[in-house]
Amino acid sequence: MRAKRLAALAFVVLVIAALAVLPLFVKKDNIINLASLALLYVALASSWNILGGYAGQTNLGHAAFFGLGTLLTRFLWLGGWPLWAALLVGAVVPVILALIIGAPAFRLKGAYFAIGTLALAQVLNVTVANRWPMITSLPARYLATYRLMPRYYLFLAVAVLTVGVAYFLVKSRLGLGLMAVREEEDAAESLGVSGLRHKLLAFGVSAFLAGLAGGAFAFYHVGYYPQFPFSPAWTFDAVMATYIGGTGTIVGPIIGAVFYVIVKELLALKVVEAHLIIFGILFILVVLFLPGGLLEVWSKIRSALGGRAKSRKAALPAG
Amino acid sequence: MLAPIAQNLAFGILVGGLYGIAAVGLSLVFGVTRFLNVSHGELLMLGGYAGFWLYTLYHVDPFVGLPIVVLLMVVLGVILYKLLFAGMVKYPEETKVKNTLLVGFGLGLVLQNVALRLWTADDRGITTTYSSQVISLVGVRFPLVRVASFVIALVVLFALHQFLQRTYTGKAIRATVQDWEAATLMAIDVQKVYLLAFVLGTALAGMAGALVSVGYSIQPNMGLEWTLITLIVMVLGGLGSIMGTFVAGIILGVAQSLTSFWLGGAYRDIVALVLFLLVLILRPQGLFGAKEG
Amino acid sequence: MLEVERIDAGYKDLQALWGVSLRVEEGELVALVGPNGAGKTTTLKVVSGLVKPTAGNVLLDGRSLLKEPPHRIVEMGISQVLEGGRVFTGLTVMENLELGAFGMKARKAKDQNLKRVFSLFPRLEERKRQRAGTLSGGERQMLAIGRALMSNPRILLLDEPSFGLAPLLVEQIFRMITEINKQGVTVLLVEQNVRAALELTQRAYVIENGRIVGEGSGEALLSFESVRRAYLA
Repeated sequence: MRAKRLAALAFVVLVIAALAVLPLFVKKDNIINLASLALLYVALASSWNILGGYAGQTNLGHAAFFGLGTLLTRFLWLGGWPLWAALLVGAVVPVILALIIGAPAFRLKGAYFAIGTLALAQVLNVTVANRWPMITSLPARYLATYRLMPRYYLFLAVAVLTVGVAYFLVKSRLGLGLMAVREEEDAAESLGVSGLRHKLLAFGVSAFLAGLAGGAFAFYHVGYYPQFPFSPAWTFDAVMATYIGGTGTIVGPIIGAVFYVIVKELLALKVVEAHLIIFGILFILVVLFLPGGLLEVWSKIRSALGGRAKSRKAALPAG
Repeated sequence: MLAPIAQNLAFGILVGGLYGIAAVGLSLVFGVTRFLNVSHGELLMLGGYAGFWLYTLYHVDPFVGLPIVVLLMVVLGVILYKLLFAGMVKYPEETKVKNTLLVGFGLGLVLQNVALRLWTADDRGITTTYSSQVISLVGVRFPLVRVASFVIALVVLFALHQFLQRTYTGKAIRATVQDWEAATLMAIDVQKVYLLAFVLGTALAGMAGALVSVGYSIQPNMGLEWTLITLIVMVLGGLGSIMGTFVAGIILGVAQSLTSFWLGGAYRDIVALVLFLLVLILRPQGLFGAKEG
Repeated sequence: MLEVERIDAGYKDLQALWGVSLRVEEGELVALVGPNGAGKTTTLKVVSGLVKPTAGNVLLDGRSLLKEPPHRIVEMGISQVLEGGRVFTGLTVMENLELGAFGMKARKAKDQNLKRVFSLFPRLEERKRQRAGTLSGGERQMLAIGRALMSNPRILLLDEPSFGLAPLLVEQIFRMITEINKQGVTVLLVEQNVRAALELTQRAYVIENGRIVGEGSGEALLSFESVRRAYLA
C-alpha cells in the first residue's frame, strides 16, 4: 500500500516536472498555447467538479465566476495594480457572489440551483455585453513586454493548485461530509453534517478557483470582448470535460479536459464547431450509459485484462 | 407619453402569449414526468425552422403549415423520448431532475450546433403578403400576424385546458402529476402518460417556434434564451395551472417590453432573469413544487 | 385464489421480506398484522406489482403476476388502497372515482359501480363536486376505498385503513369493510390495530421482521400468548 502511494506521488511529481520543463524543449508557440489551453481547462473542470461532482450540485453558471475573475483581474491589472493583487481580487469577488446566490439556492432541492446559476450567468453575460461593448486589448507598453512563458507558468500553477486543493479537500473530513451530503442529505444531517454549510464551502472554493483561472486568462489573452469569458460555452466545456473524464473523481476532470482540448483542436482543423456536436453526443451517452466516464472505461478494461476489479468501485461516482 | 406606453404594452402582451404557450409545454412535461428538459428552447427553435422551410421551400402559408409543424414535432418528441428519456423513468425524483437536466443540456448543444451548420447563424423570419398589415385601435398598432399568433396560442391553450379537465386521458395526466404511484393503481399506464406529456410539450414548443418565425425572427442560438424564459414563466405561473402560466407569460412579455422602452432594448433580456433571481431569493418555497389545489 | 409464495423483496440494500408466504381464498377476509416496519406494506406492494420481488412468486388463480406491470394487475382484479388513502387532492371527488374506473372493463361498468359506492358511502355523493383536498381524514379514506371499488376488483388490498382516524370512524370503516366483503369482494387487510383487525377477520397472518411468524383464525390468534403479549397488552 505504501509503495503504491509513493509510486503515485512520484508519478505526480514527474508529470508536474515534465510540464514545468516543457517550454525549455518545445519552442513552438502553438504547442505552448495548446498546453496553456489544456491547463486552463483542467483548472476549469476540476474547480467545477468540486461542487458538481463531489457535492452533487449541478452548477450551470460556472462561466459567471470565470468571467468575473477575468473582468476584475483585467481591469485592475491594466489599471496598474500588481498582477498578484489583481488575481487575488479576481478570485475573492466570485466567492462573495457564490455565497450570496448559494445561501438561498441551496435551501431548495432539485433543479433550483442549476437554473438559478444558469440565470445568474446569463444576467452577468448580458450586463457585461451592454456595459463594456468594446474589445479589451493590451496597450502597447504591455504588448512590448508580452512573453508566452509567464502565461504558461501561471496556467500551470493555477491548474496544479486547483487539482491540489480538490485533492486535499476530498481527503479531508470536509470531503467525506460533502460526499455524505451528496448521497443522502437527510441522513448526513442526522449525523450532524450540515448540508448547507458543506455545499456553501464547496461552492466558495469552486468559485475562487474559477475566478483565479479567469484571472490567468485575463493575463494571457491579448484581445477579446469582455463578454467572451461570460459565455455559457465555458460552463458547458467544463461540465462536459468533467463528465466525459469521470465526475466525482480527481483524475477524471484532468483526463476529460486534456481529451477535450486535443480532440477539439484536431477537429477544428477540419470542421469548425463540429466538436460541440460530437462532444454533446458523447456527453449524453456518458450521462445515460457510462456515469463513470472515461475512467470507468479504463478500469473496466483493466479489470477485464488483469482482474484488478478493486479500483473500479473507486472510479465510479455514485451521483 | 401615454401612446408609446400603450404601444409597448400591446407588443408585450402579444409576445407574452407565445411565452405562455411555450412555457405550458415545459410545465406539462415537468409536472407529469419530473423531467427538466432544458433543451426546450432548442425544440422551439426547430419548430421555427420547420415553419420557415415549409414556407420558403414549399410555399406553405405559415398558419396553414402549423399542423404540419406540430406533426413533425410529435414524431421528434416520440423519438427523443424513446431514445433519451424513457430510461430515466425509474429513477428517484432528484436523480431524474438532475439527469434529465444534463441530457437536455447536451441535447440542446447538439441541436443548436446542428442547426448552425445546416442553416447558418443568419436571422430568419417569414414574410408573407399580409405580414405588413396592421390593425389600428385608438392609435395603437397591432400587427396582424402577431395578433393571429396570440389568438391561436389562446385557442390552443383553451383546448388543452378542456382536454385536461374533461377527458379521461386528461384526468389521468392530472392524477399522474399529483401522485404517480396512486395513478398506477388506477390502472393508468404511467409510462404512456409520460410519453404523451413529453410529446405534447414538444409539440407546444414547436408550435410556439413556428409562430415566432412568423411575427418575429429565429436563429440557431435562440434556444438558451427561450429555455430560460420558459423556465421563468413556469416558475412564476406555478405548476399545474395552464391559465396561470399563460398569464405569467403575458406579465413577463409586458415587463420586458416596458423595460426596453424605459431603459433601452439592451436590458430586455435581463428583466426575466432578474425577476427569476428575485423570486428565487425572496419566495423560493412552493413556487416550483406547487401542486394543484 | 391469491397465493404469495416464499417472497424475498426489499429496497436498495435493505431486504424487507424473507420468504413470505400466504394465501387468500375466494370470498375470505384475511388480515396481515404486525408491528411497524415488519413488512406489511411491502407485502401488499408486491401483490399489486409496485415492488418487484427478488425471489418467490405471486399467483392469481394459478397465474403468475410477476411479469405484469401494476396497471395490468389492477385490470386483472386486484385493487390496492395505499396507506393514508392517497386521494388526488386537486381533483374532485367525482373525478377521483372516475379515475378508479380507468381500466377499459371498469369503464363500462362505471355507473353501476358508482351507485354501489354511493350506497356504501352516501357522504361521497353529497360531496361529489368538491375537491378531494377539502375532505376530512375519514372522508378521504372512504373516497380511497370507494375509488378502489370503482375498478370492480375481485380482491381488495387495504393498507392501514384505520390509520389516524378517531375510534368512532375506525368502527365505521371496519363495518364498511365487512359489508364490502359480504358483497363478494375478497379482502386482504393490513393493520396495526391488531385487536380490531383480528376481531373482524376469519383468518390472519402475523408478520415480524419480514417473516411470517404465525397464522390462524382471528379468535385463535387473539388467544395466542405471544400475540397477546406483543400487541394487546
